[in-house]
This record gives sequence, structure tokens and C-alpha cells, in this order.
Amino acid sequence: MNRADLERLLDRLVDATVLERVVISFASLLFAIVVGGVIVLLAGIPATCRDPAFVFAGREFCYDPIEMYLTLFEGAGAFGSLTNLGLTLQETSVLLFTGLSVAVAFRAGLFNIGTQGQMVLGALGSALTIVWVAPSLPENVVGTVVIVPLAVVVATVIGGLYGTLPGLMKAYADAHEVITTIMLNFVAMGIAFYLVRNHVGDTTTDSVQTTPIPDFARLPPTIDGTRFSILVLLFGLAAAIALYLLYERTVVGYDLRTSGLAPEAADYGGVNAKRNIVASMTLSGALGGIAGAMYVLMVHYRWETDMPPLGFDGIAVSILAGNNPLGVIPASLLFGALKGGSLQIDFALGVPPELVEVLRGLIILFVAMPEFFRMIGSYAGYGTDGGETDG
Amino acid sequence: MTVMAWDRRTFIAGTGAGLVTLLAGCVGDDGGGDDGGGDDDGGMDDGEGGDSDGDDTGGDDTGGNGGMDDMNVGMVYATGGLGDQSFNDMAHEGIQQAQEEYGLEFQNAEPDAPADVGELQRNFARSSDPDFDLICCIGFVQETDLVENAQEFSDQNWMIVDAVAQTEEGPLGNVASYVYREHEGSFQVGVLAGMLTGMDYDHGGGSTNPDQQMVGFVGGKEIPLIERFEAGYQAGVQHVSEDIEFTSAYAGDWNDPATGQEIATGMYDDGADVVYHAAGGTGAGVFEAAQSEGRYAIGVDSDQSLSASEFSDVIVASMIKRVDTAVYGSAGNVYNDEFQGGQINDLGLAEDGVGAVIGQDFEGELPSEITDELDSTRQAIIDGEISVPDNLDDL
Repeated sequence: MNRADLERLLDRLVDATVLERVVISFASLLFAIVVGGVIVLLAGIPATCRDPAFVFAGREFCYDPIEMYLTLFEGAGAFGSLTNLGLTLQETSVLLFTGLSVAVAFRAGLFNIGTQGQMVLGALGSALTIVWVAPSLPENVVGTVVIVPLAVVVATVIGGLYGTLPGLMKAYADAHEVITTIMLNFVAMGIAFYLVRNHVGDTTTDSVQTTPIPDFARLPPTIDGTRFSILVLLFGLAAAIALYLLYERTVVGYDLRTSGLAPEAADYGGVNAKRNIVASMTLSGALGGIAGAMYVLMVHYRWETDMPPLGFDGIAVSILAGNNPLGVIPASLLFGALKGGSLQIDFALGVPPELVEVLRGLIILFVAMPEFFRMIGSYAGYGTDGGETDG
Repeated sequence: MTVMAWDRRTFIAGTGAGLVTLLAGCVGDDGGGDDGGGDDDGGMDDGEGGDSDGDDTGGDDTGGNGGMDDMNVGMVYATGGLGDQSFNDMAHEGIQQAQEEYGLEFQNAEPDAPADVGELQRNFARSSDPDFDLICCIGFVQETDLVENAQEFSDQNWMIVDAVAQTEEGPLGNVASYVYREHEGSFQVGVLAGMLTGMDYDHGGGSTNPDQQMVGFVGGKEIPLIERFEAGYQAGVQHVSEDIEFTSAYAGDWNDPATGQEIATGMYDDGADVVYHAAGGTGAGVFEAAQSEGRYAIGVDSDQSLSASEFSDVIVASMIKRVDTAVYGSAGNVYNDEFQGGQINDLGLAEDGVGAVIGQDFEGELPSEITDELDSTRQAIIDGEISVPDNLDDL
């Protein structure tokens, strides 16, 4: 393939209609499933197991890809198991916020890799707020109504401030946000670990964690036997719609977008681009912080070190969604389903968890790559109208 | 990676001779608590005979005396995962022994992160096909989730290693807890390391540097549990001589051999003769470093000269922690309908829950002054003449 072909391909990709892009995504998903299945099948040859899935041509195959995919879909709740569905939706709800966090920054042309760190600190802030404030509240609905919003607000503020930091560095010191946010992730994890381990944690256990939050501070589960709360999902959906409207229908949203993408043009147009860059990063960080609060209130009921990489998954969710707040909804659903499904594989099959990770990675890679190249192509000016990376 | 291919009996046969005093009574003792209540170990003392002590009326070779049919055990491992050649593999070993002995079935679950632990526990507890008769929770990381889940699923039998499942009202009645006095076993390997670094010793894949007396410690995560290893080890070293240099570092991960190797190489370069690790899968890097630097290492949890046999020429000893016996014993108790819910098993040297075991290649090759000293410090700890600190502040 020569350069001209490549350029034609990028042009074509950038010009793809929404319907075409949806079809491409589904085709990629299917392709990823086939490739993943072959890998799982081949990985089963050198592996040793007591009862192989099947024997073909004298070779023992340890893992059965079809059974594995069935388990994956079953674990994702596709076959009507309410508990599994709950797990998928629980993961989806938190991913909505991390995905939106990354998408909001992207819309302003900023690549926020720091959602994970913002989420970790937001989660810690909300967990500690609850642990410290809860004893002075009544253990009933009144307590819930006071403490849940309080925890969310604290997490929003902490996450927001932690997003402001790289925003300021970007706007006023020209420090690239990719570098600073990556660094700040480590700083966040280190600070949180140190504080919990030495000062504010639960010292009665060997785990580095806070005391569990009391029952009345936990969001009520919607599906029995799971921790999924529909409140979080609704909140997330509302946030996605609100952000979509903000960016598509308001002047503020337009200013935020232009400030990141074309600061000079924005300045020329009378918009304070630097302030808007900081605002975008703050908004992004605040959403990361909210994700942390949701994790504490709905999923883990405490802060514990080694939080799952929901913030990093948010990057993939956002890319898959084409950085469109509404696209984040189906993208987080796919990721949530993959999480629920892989947990079920860990539980039910002898397939090593690492292999399930490979599978997850493949699906992400295949599905996200067309969008990724579309974004790059659009950024580099391919397609009929060039320009920005809109949804 | 191959699964460890040794079982309890060959292990004892292989190491028994020189180690009678170190491992005395280890076989088949589930360490039923330090309260001397050794009557809870049911059909366990007869390791060879299995359940043949029952009346052999039926031809049933798994039934035994009142044993359970179709027993199922769920295993939730610590986040280091299987293949660590150490802690988790030791637990896996225990349930495999129980499978042979009692004909039970078991299912493994390996969490990716601490956050998944609770969900995997609940998955086992919820399951009705099969219905799990016992769920083994391996590692302190499971404690908080287990305390909640054990109350929610109050008919389910659980066991936990490395933590005590209790609420403010006391231990939970459906959980058997197993904790270890790792500092006692670590003291033993500390004595060994301290004596070895003071000698001019050359055997296997390494040798000591007679000009410098220095030993090292590599931990997984900097948490009280692992500091217990370090405190005991350091006390053992100091017991030999206050002049021995001591260096310690934490890798921050249970499954990061590259960092383990980096740290240990630095220690060997600084002059350390022996490095002891308590870092799960990270420890493989310590062994790697010992081999390339021509120095010695001490393994942890299992006899790592067997479980990580490619490094047996530098693994001079291991601080074994009998997680396998805890798993095996609790499964046996459930099998024999003698489950000890609510019991806290606190296992140290006296119960053979921990101990120093000499590496395969160093069997009979260590100077007798070392092995004699190990015998005497072991007895002194059991008799209470030596009190081993369990945290770094008490050193």
C-alpha cells in the first residue's frame, strides 16, 4: 500500500457517516472475537491441564473458545442472569464518569491521562468524609440524604482541583498535559497510599484501606445479590446528556472547544483561552473525582489501595465513543460487559486470567482503532472538511 | 510455568533426615491451634492411611468414616496469583492434597485486583451448582470482604489465611481463621543468614564474601504483615552479631520480579551475602540476582528450592509457612464434619506452622554449627527463652 492509498483510506475514514462508523465498530468487534478465539485455542496446546476441552489430531486443546465466549456473554448478563447484569451495569455506571472525564478534555483538544489519579483522590476524599462525618449523623434515610451528596461534592472538588493543576501548567507554563497528568497519577497513588497506610487508614488490618463506610452511606442495591444502584446509572446518563448539550448547544461549550483546539483563534475572538483550558481540565478532573465517589458509594464501600484501572479504561471508552458524550454510553456498556464477563471466566473456567486480559485488550484494540485513526486523520486535516474531532 | 510436582509425603521423605528437629511432627499436623487442642485434626494424622482408620465395611475408598460425598471447595487466592512458587501455590498444594485424600472437587479463582476479591467470594457463596461446602480465602487482602460476606452468607463455611475474621462481637462463627507467627520462622532464617555471612562459605552456585558481613531483606508491600517477617529476620541476624550490616527494601508489588531483581542486585553489589525475600512472585527476581551475582538467597512460604528448583543452587534455605496444611486441614475438618468455625489458629514454631527448611542443594552441606544453632534457637523460642519481636519498633 503506498502513501496515496493510505491517504485515500484516511479521507474515507474521516468522511464516514455515523451509520458506517457503527457498522465498522460491530465488524471490528466480530473480527476481534474471531482472532481472540484463535489465540485462546492455540494457547491451549502448550498448556497442561487435567481434562482437555477436546482432542484433535492427537493434540490436546486445554481451552474451548466457544465455551469461553458463552461464559463471557453469560457473565455479562446477556442470558438473563440478573446478578451478572447487575455486575455489568455497576461497572458501566462508573465507566460512564471516567469516560466522560476523558471525553471532556478531548473535546478541548486536551489529552487527560490523569483521570485515574483524579479518581483515586476523589474516592479517598469521599471515603474519608463519610468515615469522619457519619458518626454524627442519624443512621437512617436522613443520614443518607445528607452524607451521599456531601461525599459526592467533596470528591468532585478534590478531583476538580487535581485536574486544575495540570490545566494551569498547560495554560500558563506550556507543560504538556500528557506528561503532567501521567506523572500526577503516580503522585496521587503515592499520596493516597502514604496517607492511608500511616495516618487515616484502618490500622486493624494488614490491607492498606480505610474503615468501611456504614450501611446508611451505601447506595441501595437495585438488583438483589449485587451492589448495582440504578441511581448511579441515571446520574451518569444525565451527566452524559448534559455534557452533550453543553458542547453542542451552548456558547460556553463552544468556547471550551475552540480554546483547546485553536487558542490563538479563540483569543482573537475575545475568549480567554488559557482560562478555558484550565476550566476544561477542572471539569475533566471533577468527573474523575465523581467516578471515585461512585466507586466508594456503590462498589467497594471503602477506599483500598490498588484501585481498578477504571480511569485508564476511561481513555479507551472515550476513544471508542469518538469523544462524543453520548457515544460514551454504549462504549461504557461494552467495557462493563467485558469486565463482568471476564470475572465470570476467572470464576468458572480454567482459562488463566491473563488470557482473558489479552482478549479484552484485543476487543478494545480492534474496536477503538478505526475511531482512533479517524481522529488522527481528522486532526491531520484529512477528509473533506478537515477540522476538529467532533462526534 | 510448570505446576509444582511434589506432594507432602515426598517432601517429608526428601527433607526429613537432616531436619527432624526442625520439622518434627509437621506431617499431617494441621496445627489445630496453640491451645493444645490437637483433637480436632480428625483423620489427618494418618497421612498415609487416608480414611482407612474407619471401619472398612464398604468397598468405598473415598467415603471413610462418615466422610462427605461430593464435597466442593472454592479457592479464592491472593492477588499475586497462582504460579508465584510461594504463598498462593502453597495453598493450591494444600487443596490438591485434600483432593487426593478426600476425593473432593475444588475450583480456583484468581482476583486481578483487591476490588475483585469480594465479588469472587460472593460468586462462590451464591453458587448452588455446585454448592460449595467450604470457601478458602487466601491472604489478608480478603479480610474486610470476608467479614461482610460471611455475615451475609451465614450458612456458608469459610476459612481465611493470614487474618482473623471477627467483628466487634468476636470471631465469626462460620469462619476458621489461620494466622502465623512469621517472625519466629524469620528469626530462624535470620540466624542462618547471620552465621553464613560471617563465614567463608562456598557451595552450590554461590559463595560468601569473607571481608564483609552483610545481609539483606526484600519485602513485597510495606505492610505490618511483611514487616513482621523483616523484624523477625533482623532480630535473628542481630542475635548472631550486632555488627552485621542489615539492608532492607520493598518492591511495592507481589508480582514484579524485575523490581525484585533490581533491588537484590543492588544489595549484592553493596556486599550482601544473603538476601531473604517475603515478596511472593517478586522473589523470583531475587533468586535471579543471587544466581548472576554468585551469592545466596532465602525463599519464603514454601520450600522454594523445590518450587523454584531452577534456583536451587542459590536457595540456601526457605522460611516455610504451612499454608498448605491450613487449607488441607480445614478441608479435612469439613469432610469429617468437624469444621472449627470461629476458631483462631495461631501457628508458630511450636505448632510447626512456620520454620526454616534447608534448601535441597544445601542439605547436609551447611556447617554443623549453623544447624546446631538453629536447633537451639528454635527450642529457645518455643520455650519462651527468646522472645521474637513482631514489629520493627520492638527491635
